[in-house]
Amino acid sequence: MIALSGIKKSFGKNEVLSGIDLKVNRGEVVAILGPSGSGKTTLLRCINYLEKPDSGVISIGDFKLNCRQHGKKDVHALRQKSAMVFQQYNLFRHKTALENVMEGLVVVRKVSKAEARERSIALLEKVGLGAKLNAYPSELSGGQQQRVGIARALALNPEVILFDEPTSALDPELVGEVLSVIRQIAEEGITMIIVTHEMGFAQEVANHVVFMDGGVIVEEGEPKQLFRYPKEERTQQFLKRITPEAGYSI
Amino acid sequence: MGATFDFSFVFQYFIKLLPTIQLTLLIVASAIAIGLVVGFLVALPQMYNIPVLRRVSQVYISFFRGTPILIQLFLFYYGLPEMLKLIAVDAARWPALYFVILTYGLHSGAFMSEMIRAAVASVDRGQVEAAYAVGMTGPQAFVRIVLPQAFATALPVFSNLIIASLKDTSLAFSVGVMELTGKASTLAVVSRHLIEAYISLAAIYFIVSFVLERLLRLLEQRVQKRGLASL
Amino acid sequence: MKLDVSFIWTAFVELLDAIPVTLAITAVSVLCGFLIGTAVALARQFRVPVLSQAGAAYVTFIRGTPMITHLLLIYFGMPMLLDAAAEALGFGFRSASIPMIVFAFLSFSITAGAYASEVVRSGLLAVDRGQLEAAYSIGMTGPQALLRIVLPQAFAASLPNISNMLIGMLHGSSLAFTVSVVEINAKAQIVATTNWKFFEAYLAAALIYWGLTIGIERLSALAEKRFKAYSRGGVS
Repeated sequence: MIALSGIKKSFGKNEVLSGIDLKVNRGEVVAILGPSGSGKTTLLRCINYLEKPDSGVISIGDFKLNCRQHGKKDVHALRQKSAMVFQQYNLFRHKTALENVMEGLVVVRKVSKAEARERSIALLEKVGLGAKLNAYPSELSGGQQQRVGIARALALNPEVILFDEPTSALDPELVGEVLSVIRQIAEEGITMIIVTHEMGFAQEVANHVVFMDGGVIVEEGEPKQLFRYPKEERTQQFLKRITPEAGYSI
Repeated sequence: MGATFDFSFVFQYFIKLLPTIQLTLLIVASAIAIGLVVGFLVALPQMYNIPVLRRVSQVYISFFRGTPILIQLFLFYYGLPEMLKLIAVDAARWPALYFVILTYGLHSGAFMSEMIRAAVASVDRGQVEAAYAVGMTGPQAFVRIVLPQAFATALPVFSNLIIASLKDTSLAFSVGVMELTGKASTLAVVSRHLIEAYISLAAIYFIVSFVLERLLRLLEQRVQKRGLASL
Repeated sequence: MKLDVSFIWTAFVELLDAIPVTLAITAVSVLCGFLIGTAVALARQFRVPVLSQAGAAYVTFIRGTPMITHLLLIYFGMPMLLDAAAEALGFGFRSASIPMIVFAFLSFSITAGAYASEVVRSGLLAVDRGQLEAAYSIGMTGPQALLRIVLPQAFAASLPNISNMLIGMLHGSSLAFTVSVVEINAKAQIVATTNWKFFEAYLAAALIYWGLTIGIERLSALAEKRFKAYSRGGVS
């Protein structure tokens, strides 16, 4: 359903992605793990075209985009297929929680205001923020902001939701509320790609885990398989370093 | 209207205007010097929250920031001699330049005081506490710890005020001081090559402000890198 | 000659007539200035070839020279250019038919444009890059993101600068007297010379400018409250 092939990206002389191939099936939850600087966030941003890959082909559903030759309209069409949840939430600061969720529906999807409003309220209630509809981002905690961010992404009903380290900017006590919302929507069968440091969470929620290092996919597979019996040495080392922490996570 | 455009006049006027830069810079320098002193005095009651004086300095700042400098210039030029007459000082024969420098000094004083206040406020409160902790007195802490740090933050604003002051001097001609603009207007009217005169006038201002800005930028960079010791 | 307190009031009342002219010059120059300034700032932000360099040169020149030189250059230069052009093209138009105030509008708009471009630029810089990314991520086009997300936030962040610029142009409009436009300053001069009471007339003018300035400051404080309502919380 989502297929990336031969995605390459360099910043100056520094090659961050050296030819990534990845397939994600409908309804699958994919967790991308890896040390910082491994290129996992860049890969995610390429799917939403917030970074322009130097080469490669991205296809989501029936839409295919060759990164070497495309127009502005193609980028726009590609972006409509996915939605992004950011590490720093990036809620529109001058809009309330409700307006943040409605914005994409009204402006991009051209849904009527009344309908957008109704759908947005339902989504905010779903993420547990029915009481904060008219609050501005500056009046919400980090965890609440991130839940609005998730509702904003859900509202567009995209083919895939991309999560860029959705909990790493949060205070530890707020991580749980966000993870439980993500878990809940994962169970609804929405396709998701999550870049995360929460190993326990990845193991529990994902049906497929991808380990990246140095701009390539080192290893991928089922979570149980990959976490218990990693084949590659780099994966083993990474997991060894990270596992003690995973022990107490959610 | 004037004579036909002749570029050679631009160059000729440029040369003729060069010596007048001195007078313009004299006004800028005196105004800035007076402004610094006045600004400091005006900022003090605000920083130390002295009851009545604080209000007075607020009104002072509000007035000088709230009215055009041209109006201030006329007010002082026409009003001050009458005021001084009341205390038996005859200012009627004072050169207009004195009034210009005084007005510009008081005007920039209002802006300087805002600059000083903001810069002092930007110094971390912990710095003063640390100074007290090693046994400094209030004035010692202010002079030795707060001011040097405030100076670095104030410097970019200070540069802007100098450039603004340079541009403001162009209004001094309106009370008859023959600075750059006054001189250029005279040349223009006499020869009827108006536009040429004003082009060279603009060029001179541009060059002076460009050079001043570069010099001030260098100073800022030095202070940022090596602190006040570099002065 | 003693201070004539009652004449301050007389002058004040006479000067009231000139307020609309001053306000018109201020409003026109700030509005046109913002159109020019936004265009220049966007050209520089998106590094549009030629336009961005031309914009930079324009901003540097205007900011490096006094406002009165812009006025003098426009006032004496424009008619020359226009008449030459009209003659060459065979139009019957002559620059003498242009009202004086047009030169003030034109020149002050050019001055304001350079300062406005800096205001717009710093406003754009104040908007977090993540805001633009979020707009793209929900599928907005570039212009949509600019109009709906970036510019409103940039505007709110620029309000103090906008207010300063308004005040700057209000005070700058006092230069229009050099091209015989009867705004507050010119009117004060007329009142002063006809009654030979300079100090009183300029005091009245100062009071009016002062009042207008305080009015602008109040309005901008109100606007800031209204447009920055979204940043009222302390939690982030």
